[in-house]
Amino acid sequence: MKKTFITLLYILIFLFLTQEETYAANYGLSISPPLLRVHIKPGKSITQVFKIENLGATDKTLVASIVPFSEADNYGNPVLNPKASAPWLSYFGLANSQIKFNEPFTLSAGATEQLILSLAVPETASIQDIYATLLVSTYENSLGQTFQGTSVRATIGSNMLITISTQAFPDTDLKVIDFKPIEGSFIKIGNLYFLDSISPVRFSASVKNEGSFTAETKGVFKVTTGSNKPVYLEGILPVYVIAKSQRQLYNTTGSPFEYSPSLNNIGPHQVTLEIKTDNSNTKSSINVIFFPLKLSIGLIASIFIIITIVKITSKTPKNSVDNPETF
Amino acid sequence: MFSNLKLDPKKSLIYLITSICLLYIFTTIPVSTIKADDLKSPTFEIQMSTINITGGNKSNLSGTINLSDTVGQTFQGRFDGTGYVIQAGFQYIYTLIPFSFKISNLDIDFGSVVPGIPTTRSNILTVTTGSAFGYSVKAIEDHPLRLSDGTTTIPDTSCDLATPCLQTDANTWSDNLRYGFGYNMSGTDIDTGDFVNSNYYRPFPVQNIDQPAIVMSKSGAATSSAATVTYKLNIDSSQAAGEYQNSIQFIAIPSF
Repeated sequence: MKKTFITLLYILIFLFLTQEETYAANYGLSISPPLLRVHIKPGKSITQVFKIENLGATDKTLVASIVPFSEADNYGNPVLNPKASAPWLSYFGLANSQIKFNEPFTLSAGATEQLILSLAVPETASIQDIYATLLVSTYENSLGQTFQGTSVRATIGSNMLITISTQAFPDTDLKVIDFKPIEGSFIKIGNLYFLDSISPVRFSASVKNEGSFTAETKGVFKVTTGSNKPVYLEGILPVYVIAKSQRQLYNTTGSPFEYSPSLNNIGPHQVTLEIKTDNSNTKSSINVIFFPLKLSIGLIASIFIIITIVKITSKTPKNSVDNPETF
Repeated sequence: MFSNLKLDPKKSLIYLITSICLLYIFTTIPVSTIKADDLKSPTFEIQMSTINITGGNKSNLSGTINLSDTVGQTFQGRFDGTGYVIQAGFQYIYTLIPFSFKISNLDIDFGSVVPGIPTTRSNILTVTTGSAFGYSVKAIEDHPLRLSDGTTTIPDTSCDLATPCLQTDANTWSDNLRYGFGYNMSGTDIDTGDFVNSNYYRPFPVQNIDQPAIVMSKSGAATSSAATVTYKLNIDSSQAAGEYQNSIQFIAIPSF
């Protein structure tokens, strides 16, 4: 009995000691910096280190590549086509000794690696903006013959907005578009907005870059009185607008612009979006009139109800009350 | 000298009060500290650099003024001198925080599938971005689920007959007589207007034919935004037996 117990104990200890940790096939990768903005003259070169970290529990085989893009949506998400090509892709290279573009490399679990990106712009390069995304993808594994289902691959990226120019700030052409109130109590008559003076109002706006170079959206959203006295000032979230594209504008917290008028904000006001950067200036204003819209509606409704009640009571036949003998 | 000096008591009182007030102002009101960066030390001297004295979001007490700024950044001098500028202003400090993407499971194994009885599997996508400008996660498949012969496939779902779905427009798929492969999204930073509930599905776009479809997105910073992808497979009894496989790629890119 004692022997059996000791043997069982040995077996249990052996099992505990030899048990290996098992992990589901998961993925986790980080990249830094997620955005690179470069202004460079033809004939110059730079290097930039991108740090990637394997946040997963297993080693990963990865592939680094660069994909050009020329379009983006209203929120700054590039429209990527992995098959796209551009002659300027040859300006980029990896200075790592072990890692090359489009060739697999292994990143151990928990390890970090530096991708040393070099950008060498030839003297003869065109003066233009070039946009690309550095992609790091999991290498496609061959699936087992008994596996029925989907093998998931992951790609992470970092955007690069590069201006090749002889000037630090080549001119560009920004225009504020679709600037209007979107939420709140308001009435539009012609180009004039009548806003309720006690309700918060939200404004929406986009900016269009009709120029050939990237512009920034640094500036202010402000509300001024008829005598041009500012009553509200808010910063615009500084984001990039690539050439020939447009972007939604937000305040510095990433929300639509919002103004909560106080009771003394009555009368004509001007709501303005002003962008002033090193290579672009633009301004758009809308004329608004704050007045107690809800209070007025409430008052009119109350007066109407009172008048109606008075009319109804005055029309009630007197004799039905005064001459009970008619019954 | 002072014999002819006549003091008006009223004026004298005004002068006295003014003097006391000025004395009080100059001695009691705190003078804000002037900050400067010393670019020298016994061992080094920086002759050209971008030094940010201050920066970030600022607002007044009533909240009617909210601005972000960068003070001290130089640009023109560096560009003319070196021929390049790599943007790293204090206002852009967020761009130095890593962007990360995690997937809880890379192998979506359906195992043996019974015709007419839908099988579902799921994994979780998690995004953290230090970037203030948001992100998007897009999805695309290499081809529909298919046998190793390369021709026999399980079609991507088109959802219920009465409620057809598209690659960018989810719709109800609850009829067990409708066969195919599709996915549903739930959780953070998904399009809840499209994936209304757990019965709403979409087919995956196909590589080299379609554009990748956005499955998660946010215009702003995200910390551990997590969304569950539910993969659904339902096959017809006439479907040829075998191991059907494909590959789905999730592409996570920060906004700029």
